[in-house]
Amino acid sequence: MRTKRVRAGAVVAVAAALVGCTAAVAIAAPTVHRASQISIGFFAPESGFAAADGQSAYDAAKLAVNQINAAGGVHGQMLKLVNYDDGSDVKQAVSIATKLVTQDHVTAVVSGSYSDQTLAAAPIFQRYQTPMLAAYAVNPGIPAAGSYIFQQDYAGNVEGAAGAYTLVKMLHATKIGVVSIDNDFGHALVAGFKAEVAKLGASIVETDFNQFGEKTFTPVLQRDMGKGANGYYMVQYAAEAQQYMTDWNQLGLKKPLVGTEGVDSTLQFVKPVGKAADGLIFTTPFNRDGANAVGKKFISTFAKAYGHLPDMVGATTYDSFLELKTALLKGTSAEAIQASIAATRDFNGAAGTTLRYTSGRSAVKPVDLEIFRNGQVHHYAYIRNLSIITP
Amino acid sequence: MTYYEVVTTTVTLYAILSVSLNIVVGYTGQPHLGQAAFFGLGAYVAAALAVRHGVSFWLCLPASVATGLVAGLVLGAISLRLREDFLAVTTIGLNFVAIVFFEKIPFFGGSMGIYAIPLPSLAGHQFTPLDFALAAIALLIVTIAISAYVDSTWFGVSLRAIKDDELAAASVGAPVARYKIAAFALSTSIAGLAGALYAFFMSVVTPDSFGFTESVVILAMLMLGGVGTIRGAVVGAAILGAMPELFRFISNYRLLTFGAILVLILRFQPQGLLGDDSAVVLALRQAITRLRTTRHSAHPDTLIRHGPA
Amino acid sequence: MFVSSLIEGIVIGSLYALMALGSSLVYGLLRILDIANVAGLVLAAYVGQDVFSGTHSLPLALLAGIGSASTLGFLLQRLLYRSLLGRSPIVPLIASVGVFIAFEELFRLIFGPYELNFPASVGLPSFHLGGNLVTGVELLIVLVGCTVLVATWAFIRFTRVGLTWRAVAQDRETSAAMGIRTSLVMGVVFVIGYGLAAVAGVLLAINYNSITPTMGDIPAYKVLAIIVLGGLGSPLGTIAASMLIGLSETFVAAYWGFVLPRDSIAFILLIVVLLLRPQGLIPGEPVRA
Repeated sequence: MRTKRVRAGAVVAVAAALVGCTAAVAIAAPTVHRASQISIGFFAPESGFAAADGQSAYDAAKLAVNQINAAGGVHGQMLKLVNYDDGSDVKQAVSIATKLVTQDHVTAVVSGSYSDQTLAAAPIFQRYQTPMLAAYAVNPGIPAAGSYIFQQDYAGNVEGAAGAYTLVKMLHATKIGVVSIDNDFGHALVAGFKAEVAKLGASIVETDFNQFGEKTFTPVLQRDMGKGANGYYMVQYAAEAQQYMTDWNQLGLKKPLVGTEGVDSTLQFVKPVGKAADGLIFTTPFNRDGANAVGKKFISTFAKAYGHLPDMVGATTYDSFLELKTALLKGTSAEAIQASIAATRDFNGAAGTTLRYTSGRSAVKPVDLEIFRNGQVHHYAYIRNLSIITP
Repeated sequence: MTYYEVVTTTVTLYAILSVSLNIVVGYTGQPHLGQAAFFGLGAYVAAALAVRHGVSFWLCLPASVATGLVAGLVLGAISLRLREDFLAVTTIGLNFVAIVFFEKIPFFGGSMGIYAIPLPSLAGHQFTPLDFALAAIALLIVTIAISAYVDSTWFGVSLRAIKDDELAAASVGAPVARYKIAAFALSTSIAGLAGALYAFFMSVVTPDSFGFTESVVILAMLMLGGVGTIRGAVVGAAILGAMPELFRFISNYRLLTFGAILVLILRFQPQGLLGDDSAVVLALRQAITRLRTTRHSAHPDTLIRHGPA
Repeated sequence: MFVSSLIEGIVIGSLYALMALGSSLVYGLLRILDIANVAGLVLAAYVGQDVFSGTHSLPLALLAGIGSASTLGFLLQRLLYRSLLGRSPIVPLIASVGVFIAFEELFRLIFGPYELNFPASVGLPSFHLGGNLVTGVELLIVLVGCTVLVATWAFIRFTRVGLTWRAVAQDRETSAAMGIRTSLVMGVVFVIGYGLAAVAGVLLAINYNSITPTMGDIPAYKVLAIIVLGGLGSPLGTIAASMLIGLSETFVAAYWGFVLPRDSIAFILLIVVLLLRPQGLIPGEPVRA
């Protein structure tokens, strides 16, 4: 009696679940598709722990689309931004990608999201032959997903190599302490850093990987000091970098210090750290000082629209849309877009100049070095050696 | 269609996890906030075998089950020594320890994760989203069948007895220790198997997909639907699993709603929506009884004579 | 290096103890594992920062923080936990997780995802000790931590109210039968527990000059580990566990670097200790100091 009831209940449950699923999904209706519009898909972590970056990227995306449309769109056709929040969840990214291609029928996609989510979404865009530009995700597996996937920010190991060149060649460090965030961004940069350091004949005394939310760097810094480090490489995002700089100053360290684009955030890093970051040089695609016309326009319009200065995440997202627009002007089919992007030459964006894309669809762009002086970020130098900046 | 298939697969995977968790939490009454760790373990083992050693999907499945089984046996053994709230916190800790494994052991790809997991194929035909959905549903049916079968055996009765009163169960001869361990092991093996399917479905596994929040989500599905019942596990998974899709238009408030639902359900209906004495089930039972009684009696007076329904 | 790690570990351990004290009081009394206590911690940080940026008065900011967190605690026990008392322990735990997640999102929606700063100075000097720079805030943390813990211990041990608490912790039904107003006791414990969390929250925000919506994640799980590790929620157990975890994390980082994610150290310690001593580090009667 009980078994029969249990089994019946189970069958009903399964049926209910399937019905429920279908109903739920049917309610989540796809977007209306108008012929005079070109739909561009976009996703970013607008909620969850990475919400600051996601919001930045989304704001830049909106700005770009508005400006493109205000200037007449693509041969008179307006761009429509189809935006989704992936909440830093890989499962979300997969269902968003599927939705974008099978329901929203977007012409192309820009990923304003981190590597994990972009990595999971890329194969889906490739399968459906929808061109995708990753704005700032640096995992090398992303463009490897296929011919329609492009990586707009330079690859992690390029930036790492540039950091090594800066620290060893320009700042004359010979024994280096490395502290990096423990994710693919960190690992990619450290890998590139290590390779270049070896080539330049310097050595690394210690490499440490920390988790998000780490606040105490004093023990590892002291360990590096004990091992005679005369140069430091910091691969961190803004929050952790802020704590690193606090501990750095408390220890009174005066050695050369090179950081990365993770600290390139006005609200999150420049403002709270202020003068405590003086002397820090970091690699970034986003040059504010010597900004070209595109960059200047981006900075001023972003600040006017959102009340604060933009950061690297915003700049690279903005550039992705501009690159897409250039490609769309030449043709709106997937193959045309793909060919256009692959043939990009000397594209001037807010986040630097993209010289070209490699055959692996990774961007080749000079690395900009910025330095903190008096609590402000200023341009320091450019690294243009092709041997370093080609991924 | 494809979008529905993808969503169905995700929701069904959650349902499998929820039903498997029910064996430990619902049947045996043991707290378990670490199911995501075993899910992740199965996913990582499958991913590593497939990408590093070219093992086929079909062989990865038993490997993941075996890994989940062994890990579950360990957890079961640990659970014997700990009182309830300590066990709860220990299972929370498992999530963090598991992430250490996934990030630090080279076999598991480190914090870069493992990507480019190839699509499974059956007789030369590569899996499409529909195939994944069907595979997930098949797996769910198997899981439900196992769970229902367990519930109907002496083993299942003993588990329920352990849940009600461990000492009493022991005193009437139920092998409490062995059965507790078995319950954990069964639950985690299923989770491992689901993990393998997940890995191939996503084609990417990264450490942060299997943290404490995931475990909470799975447990929340079970509690929302009705802990102790299979129907509750499945329905809870369907509701909370479909929620991100339903709530896309207010995606900014999704997590907030999720937390609020959790609080409300536990405050007002802790046995869940479809639990054994929840408002819904009681109402349904009353309705059924009333139907049955009216069918069997011709005269309203007979109702009174036979006493309250 | 040993000395500097020791000092660093003590500072961190004190901070953890302060963070965990509120929850551990609640646990000791009611056997409720309450992660929402950390939501109170973060709330106090936000409210305190808001008041500070308007008035530049740290005492006012602290009061505001305590007020807001204690109110939250009172409301939670009145509206939520009281009706969950009879149920299995994981029910209030999951409910508290729901509250915690909901509040994290509320913080993000109300205060924005960007980091806020709390550049307050506490009026204590920094000084060098054993090769380390100990800042004024860190000194304050250690002082406040010790004071609060000793005060709580003394309160529970020596006062009549403390005796009432211990009675309720041991046996709620009998206490009620003896005329103790258990609902009042519960309310007071939550108000005080969340007030303590508020102090921790404000100090944490000042120490790291950083307030984010997700700043409660790491403390929340660590607090759970501390409570269990410490035994049954006694203040002594809490401080022992906090110190153990703080020192372990610091020494591991100093000698081996970040070989293990920081959070996992607390839980690995937990699992190891529990395997050897299933009752925790300092077992015994509940809330006995």
